[in-house]
Amino acid sequence: MSLGYPYITYKSAIIIAVVILSAGCEKFIEVKSPVNNINADNVYTNDATAASVITGIYQNMSRQNSDEYRGTGLLANIHTGTGLSADELALFDVNNIELRQYYTNDLVSTSAPKYWNSIYSTIYIVNAVIEGVEESTVLTPTLKEQILGEAKFLRAFNYFYLVNLYGDVPLALSTDYTANLALPRTSADQVYNQIITDLEEARILLSDKYLQGNALNIYPAGMEERVRPTKWAAVALLSRIYLYKKDYVNAEMAATEVINNTSLYNLVTLDNVFLKNNREAIWQLQPVNNGINANTGEGKWFILTETGPGGVNPVYLREELINSFESGDLRRTHWIDRVIVGNAIYYYPYKYKIGSIAAESAEYSTILRLAELYLNRAEARAQQNNLGAAAEDLNVIRRRAGLPDIRPATQIALLNTIYHERRVEFFTEWGHRWLDLKRTGNIDAVLGTLKGASWQTTDQLYPIPQEEVLKSPNLHQNAGY
Amino acid sequence: MTGQTVDDLKEKVSLNVKNERVDHILQQLLGSRGYTFQFNDNVIIIRKKEPYSPIKKNATDSSINTTTISGKVTDAVGTPLIGATIMVKGTNDGTVTDNEGNFTLSNVKRNATVLIRSVGYETREMEVKGQRIMVQMNVVVSDLDETVVIAYGTTTKRYNTGNVSTIKAKDIEKQPVSNPLLALQGRMPGITIEQATGVPGAGVTVRIQGANSLRKNNDPLYVIDGVPYTSRTLYTLSQIQGGSGGNAQRNGNIPEGAGNPLSFINPADIESIDVLKDADATAIYGSRAANGAILITTKKGRTGKTRVDVNVQKGWGVVANKLKLLNTPQYLALRKEAYVNDGSPVPDASTIPDQSNADLAYYDQRRYTDWQKVLIGNTAKYTKVNTAVSGGTNNTQFLIGAGYQKETTVFPGDLSDKKGSLHFNIGHTSSNQRFNVTLSGNYMLDDNRLIGEDLTGIAMSLAPNAPELYNPDGTLNWALLPNGDASWLNPHALLKQKYRNKTSNLIINNTISYEVLPRLYVRNSFGYTSLSSDELLTKPLSMYVPQYRPFYQNESTLSTGAITTWIAEPQLSYRKVLGKSSRSTIDILIGGTFQQNTTRYMSVKGTGYSSELLLENINSATNRQVFNGSSVYKYNAFFGRVNYNLDSRYLFTISGRRDGSSRFGSENLFHNFGSIAGAWIFSEERVLKQQRVLSFGKLKASYGTTGNDGIGDYQFLSLYNAVSSVLPYQGVTGLKPVGLSNPYLQWEITRKLSVGLDLGLFKDRILLAANYYRNRSSNQLLSYGLPSVTGFNNIQRNLDAVIQNTGWEFNLNTENIKAVQFKWNSSFNLTIPRNKLISYPDLALSPDVYDYVVGQSTSLVRAYKFVGVDPEAGLYQIADKDGKIISGANLGSIEDRVMNIDLNPKYYGGLQNTIVYKTIELDVLFQFVKQMGAYNGRFGNHPGQFYGVNNSGNQPVEILDHRWQKLGDDASVQKVSSSWPTAILVPYSNAQRSNAFYSDASFIRLKNLSISWTLPDLWQQKVNIHGARIFLQAQNLLTITRYKGLDPETRSSNAVPPLRMITIGFRTSF
Repeated sequence: MSLGYPYITYKSAIIIAVVILSAGCEKFIEVKSPVNNINADNVYTNDATAASVITGIYQNMSRQNSDEYRGTGLLANIHTGTGLSADELALFDVNNIELRQYYTNDLVSTSAPKYWNSIYSTIYIVNAVIEGVEESTVLTPTLKEQILGEAKFLRAFNYFYLVNLYGDVPLALSTDYTANLALPRTSADQVYNQIITDLEEARILLSDKYLQGNALNIYPAGMEERVRPTKWAAVALLSRIYLYKKDYVNAEMAATEVINNTSLYNLVTLDNVFLKNNREAIWQLQPVNNGINANTGEGKWFILTETGPGGVNPVYLREELINSFESGDLRRTHWIDRVIVGNAIYYYPYKYKIGSIAAESAEYSTILRLAELYLNRAEARAQQNNLGAAAEDLNVIRRRAGLPDIRPATQIALLNTIYHERRVEFFTEWGHRWLDLKRTGNIDAVLGTLKGASWQTTDQLYPIPQEEVLKSPNLHQNAGY
Repeated sequence: MTGQTVDDLKEKVSLNVKNERVDHILQQLLGSRGYTFQFNDNVIIIRKKEPYSPIKKNATDSSINTTTISGKVTDAVGTPLIGATIMVKGTNDGTVTDNEGNFTLSNVKRNATVLIRSVGYETREMEVKGQRIMVQMNVVVSDLDETVVIAYGTTTKRYNTGNVSTIKAKDIEKQPVSNPLLALQGRMPGITIEQATGVPGAGVTVRIQGANSLRKNNDPLYVIDGVPYTSRTLYTLSQIQGGSGGNAQRNGNIPEGAGNPLSFINPADIESIDVLKDADATAIYGSRAANGAILITTKKGRTGKTRVDVNVQKGWGVVANKLKLLNTPQYLALRKEAYVNDGSPVPDASTIPDQSNADLAYYDQRRYTDWQKVLIGNTAKYTKVNTAVSGGTNNTQFLIGAGYQKETTVFPGDLSDKKGSLHFNIGHTSSNQRFNVTLSGNYMLDDNRLIGEDLTGIAMSLAPNAPELYNPDGTLNWALLPNGDASWLNPHALLKQKYRNKTSNLIINNTISYEVLPRLYVRNSFGYTSLSSDELLTKPLSMYVPQYRPFYQNESTLSTGAITTWIAEPQLSYRKVLGKSSRSTIDILIGGTFQQNTTRYMSVKGTGYSSELLLENINSATNRQVFNGSSVYKYNAFFGRVNYNLDSRYLFTISGRRDGSSRFGSENLFHNFGSIAGAWIFSEERVLKQQRVLSFGKLKASYGTTGNDGIGDYQFLSLYNAVSSVLPYQGVTGLKPVGLSNPYLQWEITRKLSVGLDLGLFKDRILLAANYYRNRSSNQLLSYGLPSVTGFNNIQRNLDAVIQNTGWEFNLNTENIKAVQFKWNSSFNLTIPRNKLISYPDLALSPDVYDYVVGQSTSLVRAYKFVGVDPEAGLYQIADKDGKIISGANLGSIEDRVMNIDLNPKYYGGLQNTIVYKTIELDVLFQFVKQMGAYNGRFGNHPGQFYGVNNSGNQPVEILDHRWQKLGDDASVQKVSSSWPTAILVPYSNAQRSNAFYSDASFIRLKNLSISWTLPDLWQQKVNIHGARIFLQAQNLLTITRYKGLDPETRSSNAVPPLRMITIGFRTSF
C-alpha cells in the first residue's frame, strides 16, 4: 500500500480529534432503566403495577407458607415456633437446635428467629405503597382507595404480630431510612393505637366485596376467591385488636358487624373449615406453587407419614393438648390424626388434610375465619358481664364441634371456658395459643407448670436478632437475652 | 563517521532504536539487504555481499593457519536468525547471516574466537573448532530493555516512570495452570493471588497493593489486547468453583457467580502479563483502575520462516494434604463419653437406632473408612496440547494457535473440564511503514462437568464407621433404620446431581493506525468481548435421602447468560525527537473511550419431571419458573498523556482523564482523574559514568488519582422486581422493591503516591527495585449496613471514610553465574503491606462500630479474648471487655470483642532460581506468605454429636488430645456432648468468636518446579525439528506450614485445596 500525505489527511485528523473530544458527552452514557424492572417513578402511575406491589406481599407470604423451612422465623410459618414455645407442639428431633430453642424457651439472640426482619421488610413495602399511592394523581380512585386500604390493613396486621412477639417496637411509618434507622421503641400501647387508626381507615377504604387480582373488579357470583383482604377482614382484625386492648364494647361491635354479614359468612362443617374459599373464611392465602407444594405449608409440615416424626416433620402434638379435649369433641377426631410407630403414638394437626402429595390446590392457609369472631364476641360479652349472650356465642362454636351447650355460672368460669374453647378451636393456627396465653396473663402459670425451671417470665418476649440491636443505635434487647 | 553514498540503497527504511550499538544497527539495516560492513578505524565500509562467499579482506592472506567456517544461527527454539553478525574477535572481519540463518566466513585463524550478535539476543562467543558451527542465541535477559506494556502503549523498564511488574511467556509456560492468573503467584511484588478451591475453573481473588474499598469492588481492571475484560463470571447455578473475593458489583439484578473468568483464556496464548500498580501506570484508565490493572498481551507472529510449535503435556493432580481425623475406635470412644457427660444412657446394639445414634446402635463398630480418600482422594488427570503456526514477511505476520485441555477432578465419578481454544493474530504494515492494521482474536469453548457441591466438607465430618457406599447388588446403600428411614445421606447419592457449565469466550481486537503527517499517528482500537455460558444443574429425586423425597421433586435448572462488551478508542499520538543529540523525545497522546457492557441472564427451573431421565429436557417439566435479568453499563472518557524524555536522563509523564459512568445519577456522571510522574536516570550523569559498579540507577515518583464505580448498575434507581413463584397470585405476578435507592451516589476516589528506586549493578547483573506506595481511598462507596427496621439490610452510599494501603515492594534479580555452559539466575521479591482505616466519620454511631477500628486494618476480625476451659464445668470461657470471665451459658456481648485480628498478610513474596547447565534447565519457585487464618478444627464440629442424616460426627484428632474429661482437667477443648443443649452450645459459639479460632496460616510453598532438557542438535537435525525439549513441571509440590487446616491458601476445610500437580511434556518446533 502506498499512501502519501494528501490534503485529505488533515481533515481526517480533525475528524478524529472531534470524535475524541466528543467522548465527554452526557448523551452517550445515559442508560434506560433495565427492561425487566419497574422503578419507583413509574410503579404507582399505573393501576396494574400499583396493585401488583400489594399482591406481591400476599404472594410472598404464600410462598413462605408452603416453601420455606418453618424454623427460620417467617410470619407465615409462625404456627410452629409459637406452638413449640407454648403448650401445643412437641419436638421429636431433639438435635434440631433451631426448633429446640423454641421448645425449651431458650432462644438465643445471636441465632434468634427472624420474624423481626421479615415483618419489617413487609412494613417497608406497605409504607412505600402508602406513600406512592397517596402521591399519585393518575390512579383510578376506587383502586387507589382499595390499595391504600389493603396497605393499612397489612401494616396493622404486621404490627399486631410484632408487638405481640417483641413488646415495645420501633414504629416505622415511612420509607425514610435515615429516620427509621434511629427509631427507639414505641410503647406497645401507642403501637396498638396506630394499629387501630390504620384498621379504622382500612374498614372505610376497603371494598366490602372480594376483589380480583387487579384490586378493582369484583368476582362473578360464586367464583370469588377469598384471598384479598376486604372491609370484613379489617373489621374482624379490629375485633381481635379491641379484645387484646380490653376495649370490650368495640370488640363486641366489630364482631357483630362481621357475624351479621350472613350473605358472605357462616360457619361450615369441621371438615370444610380450611378448604379454599369456604364461607367461614374471611381472609386466606392462595398457594403459589404447583405440584407437591400446591397446598398449604400447614398440611405439608404437620401431617406425619407412617414413619412418624423425623427430619422433615420434626414436631407433633403434645399430650396435654390431646387430653384437654372434652370427650365427644369432634375437633379431636376431625382435626387431629395420629400415626403409630412401634410403641409410640404421635398425634398431629389434621386441620389441613393435604400434605406433600402432588394435588390441585384445594386448601388455602386461613388467616382470619368467622369462628374467631364468635369467640371474640363471647369473651367481650362475658367481660361486660353479659353472660347469657356470651354463652350463646360460645355454644355456637361448641355445637359445631358436636358438644352440648353449657352455661357456666360465673364470669370467671365462663371466661375460662372461652379460653379453653379458643385453645381447642385455634390450636396451631397463626400463633393464637401463644398470644392468648400472654394476653390473658395465664402464661406463667401454664408454662411454669408444664416446663418447670426452664420457663422464665421473660421468655414471653422473643429476642430481637442481635445484629439488629447492634445496627440500631437506639434499640435495646428484650430483658432476659 | 563519514558517509559514503551507496547508489543501490534507495530504499526508505524506518528504524527505531535507542542506546543501541552501531554494529547492531548496521547489521539490522544491511544484513537482510545483502550488504556486509566492516569497521576500519573511523570508517565503516559497506559492501555488497556475494551470497555464501567469504569477505575477501586480503587475497594474499590465505595460509595454512586460516580456514573457512560456515554455520547457522538460530534462536533458542530453532528459528533461523536473519542478519545476525558474526565477527572474529579482535579483528574487523565479519559477515551476516542470510535468510536461512546461514553464513560463511573465510580466512579465519584457527583457534580464533567468533562473536555472534543479533538484536534482542544475548551475544555469544564461540571458539572455532571445526569448520561448521551451529549457534543458538538466547533472548536478552537484561530486564531493563525488555518491553513493558502500559496503558495505550509500550515502554521499557529503563524508561518507565510507573510501577509495573511483568511476567513473560517463558515463565507462564513453566506452570501447569489453567488460569493465567495463577502463573503470577509468588512472582511479583505488590500483588496477592489466592485460589478458592482445587476444582477446575476455581475462583481466584486478586488484590493489587491491598484492598482500597471498604466493601465494594476491589478487583483490578483486566485488559486483554487492549480490550477490557470482566473480572467476575455471570451468576452460576452452583458455587462449587468458589468465589473470586467478596464484594463484587452486581450487574442490575444479576448476582456474580463462582469461578473466575480468566480461566477462559488459554495461558499458552499469552506473550506477557503486565501488572500496573501506581497512579502513573493506571490513572489513564481512570475510574476503572483504582485497584490496579492487569494487561494481558497475546502472542503475535514474527517475520521469518513459517514455523509450527507443538506442546504436549500430561499430568496428575492430587489433594496434597489430609486432615488428621479420628479413627473408628477413637471416634466411638468420644461419642460414648459424650453420652456419659450428658448423663444419658450410652446407646449400644440393644438400643433402638435412630438418626441421632446410628453410629453406636446400628453401624458396624469395627468398620473404618477414610472418607477423605474415598471422596476427594482420586487423582485428577491433566492433558494439554497446544499448537501454533506462525510466520510472516516484513509486511505481514501471522500466528494461529490452537489448544486443547482436559482436566478431571479428585472427586469420584466421571467429571472433567474440557477446553478447546483458538487464537489468531494478523498484523500488516504497508511498505512505507505508515499504515498498520492488526486483528487478533481468542476463542475458547469450555465444557465443565462437575457435581453441584463440594464433597470436601462431607469428607471431613462423616462418621468413620459410616456404612458401605454400595449394596452387594450395586445399588446405593441407605442403611435403613428399623422405622424404614435411611440412616444417612449416602455421599455418592450427591453424585447423581449433575452440574455442567458450557462457556464460550470470544475476545476480538482490531487496531488501525496511520501516520497522517510525519510522526503524527491516528489510531483506532476496536474491541469486542463476549463471555457466554450455558448451565445445567439437575437435582434428581434419587440424590435425596429416601424419606425426604416426598418433599422434593425432580428438578433441573437451565440457564443461559452473556456478558458482552464493545469498546472503541480513537487516539491521536505525536512523537518528536528533540535537540541535536537526539537523546530527547516528547510523546503526546490524546484519545477517547466509548464502552458499553451488556449483561443478560435467564434461567428456567423446571420441576415435576416424571422421570429422572428427562431432567435435561425442560419441556418435560410440569412446572417452569423463569428468572431473567439484564443490565447495561455505559462508560466514556476523554484522555491525554504527555511523556517527555530529556536527554535520556529526566523523564516526565502527565496524564489526565475525564470519565463518565452510567452507574451514577445525573448530578455525578462525570469525574476527572489525573497523574504526574517523574524519573531521574542518575546513572546517565557524567559523574557516574566513570565508575563500573553502578550500571543503572533511576529514581522515580508518581502521584495521581483513580476512581471506582464498581457498585453495579442502576443503584441510583429505586427498582421493583417480580416476586418469584411458580404460580401467580390471583393471576397476577406481584412486584417488590429491590432495595433502597440513592440518587446521590458519587465516585470513590483513590489517591496513589509511589516512590521507587531502580538500581543495576555490575553491568545489570544485579537489578534491584524498591518501591514505596501509599494509596488512600476516600468517599467510599459501600453498602451501608442498616437495621431491618428500615426495610432492608443496607443501602448503597458514599461514606467519607478513608482507607490507606501502604507498603514496600522489593524485587532483586541477580545473575549469580553467567558462564557459557552454566547459568544461574535468581529473582526474589518481597512485599510488606499495611492496610489501615484512617478515618470513619461517626464510627461510634454507625452499624460498623464493632467491625472496624480507626487505625487498624480493614480486614479486621474482632474477637473475644479466649480464656480457656473452666476446669470445674469443662466449658469454654471468654473474657468480657473489662477482663472479667464470662462462663456458662452466657453469651458474650459484642462490646466484649476486644481482640483485633488482622487477616491481611504481614508480608509475602517469592524466590525463583533458574539454573541452566548445558541443555538442562531447572527452575524452582518458592512462594511465601505470613498471615493469620481461621481454623474451625480447633473447636471441632460440635464434638460428641452425631446428628441426622448427614452422619456428621468426626473430629480432628486434636479434639481428642485436648478435651476436658473430668473435674479439674486443664484442657483446651470443652467437654463433649451428644445433645448440645444451650448450656453447651453458648460457650462453644463464644469460643468460635474468640481469638483462639484464629491461628497462624503462614506458609512457604514450593509453588513451581520445572526441569527441561533440550534434545541434542544432532538428534533434532535427523528428524528436522528444532527446539525440541522434554520437560517435567510441578505445581504446589510442597507446603511448609503450621496451619492445621487443609490448606493455608484457601484457609478452608470445606473446599478442595489447590492440587499438587505434576506433569511431563514435550515441545518442539519445525
